[in-house]
Amino acid sequence: MLTRLYTSVPVRLHIRSRNNSVRSLAFGRAFSSSRFTLEGPDDILPRHPTWSVQDIFGNRSTNAEPQVSDDELHHLLRLSALPIPKDLAEQQRMKKDLQSQLKFVRVIQELDISDSVKPLQSIRDETENGMKEQEITAETLADEFAKEEIVGIRGRIRRKEGMKSLEGEEEKWDPLALAPRTTGRYIAVNTAED
Amino acid sequence: MRQVLTPRQQFQKAIVLPAIRAALALGCQIQTRSQFDRKHYFYADQPAGYQITQYYRPFATGGKIILNDFDGIAADDGKSVVIGIQQVQLEQDTAKTVLQPPSEAMLDFNRVSHPLIEIITLPQIHQAQTAAACVKKIQALLQAVNAVTAGMELGGLRVDVNVSVRRRNQNALGQRTEIKNLSSIKAVEDAIIAERNRQISVLESGGTIQGETRGWTLGASDTVKLRGKEGEVDYRYMPDPDLGPLLISNELVTKLAGALPQLPDQITEELVECHGLTIKDAKTLVELDGGMRLDYFDVVRSELAAFHSQNEGNPVINATDEKERGVIIANWVLHEMGGLLSTSESAFSADRVPAKELAFVILMLSMGRITGRTAKQLLAKKFHGDTREVETIIRDENLGLVHLSEEEYVSMARELLDGHPAIVAQIKDKGQIGKLGFFMGQMMRKGEGKVVAQRAEATLKKLLGLTQ
Repeated sequence: MLTRLYTSVPVRLHIRSRNNSVRSLAFGRAFSSSRFTLEGPDDILPRHPTWSVQDIFGNRSTNAEPQVSDDELHHLLRLSALPIPKDLAEQQRMKKDLQSQLKFVRVIQELDISDSVKPLQSIRDETENGMKEQEITAETLADEFAKEEIVGIRGRIRRKEGMKSLEGEEEKWDPLALAPRTTGRYIAVNTAED
Repeated sequence: MRQVLTPRQQFQKAIVLPAIRAALALGCQIQTRSQFDRKHYFYADQPAGYQITQYYRPFATGGKIILNDFDGIAADDGKSVVIGIQQVQLEQDTAKTVLQPPSEAMLDFNRVSHPLIEIITLPQIHQAQTAAACVKKIQALLQAVNAVTAGMELGGLRVDVNVSVRRRNQNALGQRTEIKNLSSIKAVEDAIIAERNRQISVLESGGTIQGETRGWTLGASDTVKLRGKEGEVDYRYMPDPDLGPLLISNELVTKLAGALPQLPDQITEELVECHGLTIKDAKTLVELDGGMRLDYFDVVRSELAAFHSQNEGNPVINATDEKERGVIIANWVLHEMGGLLSTSESAFSADRVPAKELAFVILMLSMGRITGRTAKQLLAKKFHGDTREVETIIRDENLGLVHLSEEEYVSMARELLDGHPAIVAQIKDKGQIGKLGFFMGQMMRKGEGKVVAQRAEATLKKLLGLTQ
């Protein structure tokens, strides 16, 4: 579902109308659930911006938001494998940016989606037929069943003899060729530095 | 130029087959819809910076394992203990790390991204010995349903253990640490004991336990810190956008559940209740050679049953019942065959001594046509490559038991007794009945395969006046 993600993004778009003239449009909330008013009979989209991201930062005071501490910032940087700020000024800039981003995220989190909008995980076919195609059935695994045999009176399953995967061209390369440091057939790393 | 973008990871549907079988063997419910998530962390063994796993919606939930006293649980756990399974999830493997103290690690990326299942038990294990028994049982279950490629010692299965301690009468669990990559049953038990002792020592000296990841080397006395453990939120779990939901049809689950092989506990119970084996022998038979020895036992039993049914009216052949025959067959398959395999340092193969031939040996022995000693010789001949049928060997080498007369038994026994008066005195005057075995052994040797042990014993007892 694309609805909520694109609620507040202002976009300028140039399109060709039926008489081939170029019309320049700017719109926001193109897909929001609240209705907007079209200004003319041939209008497809609003002529003027209906919303701006400044609405968030204008209406919500940054000071009212929970503050990110220096320790929390450093913790996040470590988790993200990013370098610690060089000086206090850079640290303050980072915190300010992070604070703005968190504010934006909280606006998204506060959206009322109680009318059963499911979170979007990935762009894929979620129609009934599409889901049926993705479903794994016995038929899907027919080739795998064919590689097995049942032995003994107790139904023991084992792979048939000779059922080994074939080595392809891709496996004839040397995976260690680009490793900065090796020990035998291992890639060596310094754990203290990590 | 058109650039084709492909997802970074592609799910191999074939792995669902062993995964579902494993979950069914553990008594789990299969979720027809599950999803993949990313677990983010930076470490040398994780080249992508995240691991694909199933954190929010695993494909199987809510199973259990029943551990019995004969599975080797700790005495404190009584006759049996039930360990709940929280979930079974599909995930990617990481690189193999070999630590080179003090500060180097060697990484083998061969297995990176290989699919595996993670089985998460509930925190219901209170003894290190029981934890080791639990791992052993899980391994047996996975082998029984063909869901594991190799045992622990060959890297087919490894264990991460979470250990915590708490004061007696305290309900809440203490802070846990995780010991990673234990690769043997012994390592599981030893590492838990070492970590338990370490935590108790820290707490009793006023310290606190840090949530951290620790490692263990076989033979070590302590676990060692590998890295601090992230809190769950620090892994920033998020649904993987490249992989769709895992959709499993009910029809596939039903098919696999209906065709699941017999599980170890079922087989053990049957071998004990129906075939008279001891629990120890039953468990050994189930565990040996990946199930091949058990298959062999079943075929020998079936061949012997066929001989019996062909001779239904013969009281000699049918003197033994199902349970007695089961014990006899198990002895030959486990111990006699096991001895030959051990001596020759070779792996078991059902082709080495065809089951029908072993069944015939057992039949001849039970009919009194050959002695026990001859039966062992026949097995050894076949084991070492004699291609003749057992019947032919018996005939060609005149191994059939020629029954000695009663007079011959008495004559042989009397000669031995007269030659060892001191031992006779020990038996008759001091009641050392065990010394009778000496004379029996001498008679078996002198008889060259023609002396039946029970008759020798009976004759000796009669001559010594020991019969009632």
